[in-house]
Amino acid sequence: MSSSASLYLDPQIRDWVLFPITLVMILVGILRHYVVILLQSPPKNLPREAVREQRALTRSQVLRSTCAKSPIPPTYYKSISRHLSDAFEAGTYLKDGPPREGDAPKGPPNPMSDPAAMDGMMAGMKTQMVMMVPQMVIMGWINFFFQGFVLIKLPFPLTLGFKSMLQRGIETQDMDVRWVSSLSWYFLNFFGLNGLYRLILGGDNSADSSRDMTASPFGANPAAPGGAQDFGKLFKAERDNLEFSEGLYSWVGEGVEDRVLRRYGLST
Amino acid sequence: MRLSSFAPPMSLSSALEKLATFRANNTRASQETFQAASVILKSAQKLGDDGWAVLEQLFLASVDIGRLDVADQCLKQLAERFPDSPRVDVLTGIRMESSEPPDVVLQYYAQILDADSANAAIWKRRISVLRRTGKIEKAVEELSQLLDTFYTDVDGWLELADIYTSCNQYILALQALSHALLLAPQNPFYVLQFAETAYTAGDLPLALKTFLVAVDMCERDLDSPEEKPAVGISVRAWLGVKLCSRRLMSNSSPSASNTAIPKSLNLIEELATERVLSAYSKGAGKVPQGKDVVVGWIGAR
Repeated sequence: MSSSASLYLDPQIRDWVLFPITLVMILVGILRHYVVILLQSPPKNLPREAVREQRALTRSQVLRSTCAKSPIPPTYYKSISRHLSDAFEAGTYLKDGPPREGDAPKGPPNPMSDPAAMDGMMAGMKTQMVMMVPQMVIMGWINFFFQGFVLIKLPFPLTLGFKSMLQRGIETQDMDVRWVSSLSWYFLNFFGLNGLYRLILGGDNSADSSRDMTASPFGANPAAPGGAQDFGKLFKAERDNLEFSEGLYSWVGEGVEDRVLRRYGLST
Repeated sequence: MRLSSFAPPMSLSSALEKLATFRANNTRASQETFQAASVILKSAQKLGDDGWAVLEQLFLASVDIGRLDVADQCLKQLAERFPDSPRVDVLTGIRMESSEPPDVVLQYYAQILDADSANAAIWKRRISVLRRTGKIEKAVEELSQLLDTFYTDVDGWLELADIYTSCNQYILALQALSHALLLAPQNPFYVLQFAETAYTAGDLPLALKTFLVAVDMCERDLDSPEEKPAVGISVRAWLGVKLCSRRLMSNSSPSASNTAIPKSLNLIEELATERVLSAYSKGAGKVPQGKDVVVGWIGAR
């Protein structure tokens, strides 16, 4: 007989340890969701120049996207293309205006010196704190009161490889892998409650804290305003694309009369 | 209040459905909207999120038909529910435009733009006020700046083209329209507008080509176009083709955009004549309106 058959759990453990841990973790997740909503600063209003800088690339992208069968005639295409190319070269669309003679070439912007980037970072740190603090408290609570508890027996057999995952905190060699320790139960909840949150709070909730584990506050949200993008370089690169597209360009009106005539069977 | 005395009794759900269709299609049927929404006005709060959209819709409709008392009610409710909302700011501006002198409104807009210089909705309202009060130059300047910032605004480009056209600056209007074409290359109406503007600007070869592009776009999915008479905007496009080709045949005018005149001009002219006449000869027994004029115009060389 395996040793697991001889092990019996006190129902009090179920009522006073298993359920409370699960309940507390769910409630903390929900609380966290609302705290994050509360902490969210409203999206910052960008000044006109910054918006212009961010959107300047779409101009050439729009132009290029239809270049193989462009709806506009050659002279118009060329003038727009040249104008954009010159503007990108001269840096007209840069937030701070075109670079002047004698300016030192700027390195990549330092996120610490840019207040906008700093704000974005602080927001990331805040959500991280909201995640870290309660999780640390819960883990301490479990470690302090319920260390070495066996909480639950899984209803299916597992291989030995799961031992370190399911019996963290219990140093027994020959206990059946199906028994789950308190600390492991905590981790299972930590990573597995997201589905439940999605049911309770809807799709884009911020209750799940395991997701934040992978995100660092520094690289958070690459689309954040004031991200460390060097638009000067992007513009220079876009010039090559523009030149390339100019080679591909053809007007949709090119030979349109033949197309129409052919459709009516009047081809010359 | 005597809001719905002249409206036929309408059930709540059918009214809501009607309003939702108007919203989705951007229909400006102000009188109908007003009648339908008045049924809902009192219970707007109970409708949840949809109710606020209806309130906004009712507000715009009642400003449109001059029922400022109703508009004020809507605006009050919206402002209480959404303080600091940029969208309500726009509505407040629209309400001010309806009764205040333009200077006051412009000042109000300038104040908002000072705080948030990239607020496109307010910016556009400001431009519209400038244009309406005759400060065309200022309006063009602001609109160009707006489009320089928010390039993808097709309506903005069309408005700019419209302003230029109203000032007889057809070449500039063509430039503005070419941006609209780039942004919405699938819309034959813009192509047609481009063609007509090119015709007005005197660039006949370009106009002819663009009219043909419009024809090509409209009839692309027809299997055998010669069997059916032209309908919709392709009638207008064919008329344009006819007009351009006839004028080009009598004297070849130079093209500002260096567009070559098609070699098969005669064939195109004949085809256009045929298509225009076929569009005006349809209908069993009923002569289409304006047929005599068109036939007379085509006959006159």
